[in-house]
Parts: sequence; structure tokens; C-alpha cells
Amino acid sequence: MDFRTRLIKTLKCVGAVLQEPGVLIAGSEVPNLLEADARSTLVVSQDLDIVVPVESHAGVKARLQDIRGLKRSGEEPSVWLPLSTDLLEVNFIGMDKRSERAGETYLLEDDELPLIVFAQLSLLSPGKLLRIEGLEVPLPRPAGLLLEKLVTDRSGEKGERDLLVALALLLVCEPPDIRELEALYRGLPEEQQYAARSALSLLSLLAPYPQMPDPTPHRPLLAGLLARLETMGPAR
Amino acid sequence: MTAAMQRRLQRIREAGVIREWEYRQRNSAKGVWYRLRRVLVDAAKAYEVEDADADRFQREGEIPLPVGSELAPPKRIFFLPGERLRTASSRRPVPVRLGSELLQARNLILLAHGEKSPDDS
Repeated sequence: MDFRTRLIKTLKCVGAVLQEPGVLIAGSEVPNLLEADARSTLVVSQDLDIVVPVESHAGVKARLQDIRGLKRSGEEPSVWLPLSTDLLEVNFIGMDKRSERAGETYLLEDDELPLIVFAQLSLLSPGKLLRIEGLEVPLPRPAGLLLEKLVTDRSGEKGERDLLVALALLLVCEPPDIRELEALYRGLPEEQQYAARSALSLLSLLAPYPQMPDPTPHRPLLAGLLARLETMGPAR
Repeated sequence: MTAAMQRRLQRIREAGVIREWEYRQRNSAKGVWYRLRRVLVDAAKAYEVEDADADRFQREGEIPLPVGSELAPPKRIFFLPGERLRTASSRRPVPVRLGSELLQARNLILLAHGEKSPDDS
């Protein structure tokens, strides 16, 4: 079974959760879904990240009973494991843009659906609703997800593949997305701005990976973006 | 709350602390890798040249980039136009990556994006 089929099947299994307002698909599957007809040619990870805004936590919990084909992990209850090999693992992760803890990485404790709330996910905002095979899949705007990929600490081969996902997102960005990226970047603390520039420099020098976009022909684009970001200080 | 999630959260927080430290160290030796990468980002191509060619470029007024002298052993790294590179008979292309070929080169000539290489047909 090809990866696209597994991805779409998994999305159907969690379709009830995707209907909860505010919920987003994030992570490395987004560029796969943004390809024409969600072709899903990038093989990055074998899981699907579902972002739960903290204000939607109760609503998502109420919909967990409608998930099919997956079971909650006993070891890490925010992870749902596939019951068959034709499905992907699903990770629920938290986003906080509103509470007094927004901008912090913390644990949202709950017996049924505990979540790690990631500070950088607050860069995400709702984007297009992808309609595919009868499903409505809420995706984030590419600029926020791209910046989130750049500022999140990662290492090793997984880290490099995640940077190539950032490249895949950059390649679908239109000029307004780039302006949005720059505006979001200006709002970051200096330390995170540096992290984003550092990640772009790493991305520019990566060797190609099979089934991932090759950064080599896009190095002038990356150099131009990095140069533009360097001209922007933090917002005052 | 599960121990696995607590451990994961702890790792994320530790990574954040390390990143803050790296940011504070960015202008010292710890930041040299970023400065080297930053120079390489602007390079479309890189060539290793022998000492004789690098010596000649310096005699002719080319100034090596400061980041090269921060490395141990130091490197001489120049950004040159394609026509200047053409005069370096010892030139040998190396991938613009942080790989062994580039890191072991004692002298590097970089060509900016948009600059025509003498080896292009």
C-alpha cells in the first residue's frame, strides 16, 4: 500500500476529530497534503500530527470515541497507535495562543488526553481546508508552519528531513506567504530569529535525500530569504 | 501523567536551555559554525586551490574572509569572480556542503550565486 493511501485512510479514521473547530493537521504530512491531489511523495515520518488548541481540548476529547482503527498508547496517551499496518500513528499535540502560558512549552495534564503544548506551535494559524475523498482536512497557513519548522530544535537525520519539509513548504509559498513569514519572524525573540537563520543555513548546505526535495537548485532562493531576514530586527 | 511524556517535556526544555546558551555564545568560538555556514550559503560553487594560488591571490590584494582564520587549522576563504578563478590552475571543485572535502581544504575559492564559473560550458 502506498504512503498516500495510508495517509488518507488515517485521516478518515480521525475524521471526527478534524471536525472540531480549531484543530489542525501539522508536521511533515502538510507538504504531502499540499501537493496536487495530495500525492504525498515525501516520505518523512510514519505519523500524523494533530494540533489541538487548548481551548478545543474538551471538544476533541468528546470526539475521541469516534476514532476508528487506532488505540490510545498506554505509555504515552497523546499517541494513538494503528491497529493495522495500513494506518499511520497519530500524535495529538497542544497549541496555546491565548492563555497566560502561551509561548511556553508545558504539559496539559488530563487523564484521557494529556498534551505536550509546544511553544512554537503558537506560530500556526488556520489555513486552507483541503477537501479530498469526502474529507475536510484543516491545514495551517504555510508561513507559520515553515517558521515553526525552522525554530524547533531538531538533530540527526530526522532533523535534516524536517528541514527538507521546511523547504517543501517554502516551495509552495506565494509572495504573500513570504511577507507573512517575515512578519512572524519579526515578532520572534532574537534568540529564535537566530535559530531560524541558523536552520536556513543548514538547509542550504544539506545533501539530497531520496524522496525529498533537493535543496541544491533552490540555494539562491534560500540565500535570498536569509539575506532578507538578516535585515529585520525584532519588532519593537 | 505518564513518565514518558514527562521525559519528553524535560528533553524539550533542556534543548531550549542549550539553544539559549548557544545564542549567547554566537559571537564567540561556538558561533563559528554558523558564520562558516553563512558564508557558504552565498556560494553557488566552491573550489579548493593549492597554497601557491591562494598566496598569489593574497599578493594581488584579495583578502581572505575572517571566518577562515577562526578555524583550526585555519583556512583561507575567498569570494572571487569567475574570471579571477580562471587563473587558478590548481582549482578543484568541492561540494558546497559541510563535508570532508570542503572541511579539509586549506584554501577555498567561492563563487557567488549568479557568477559564471570558468568550468561551465
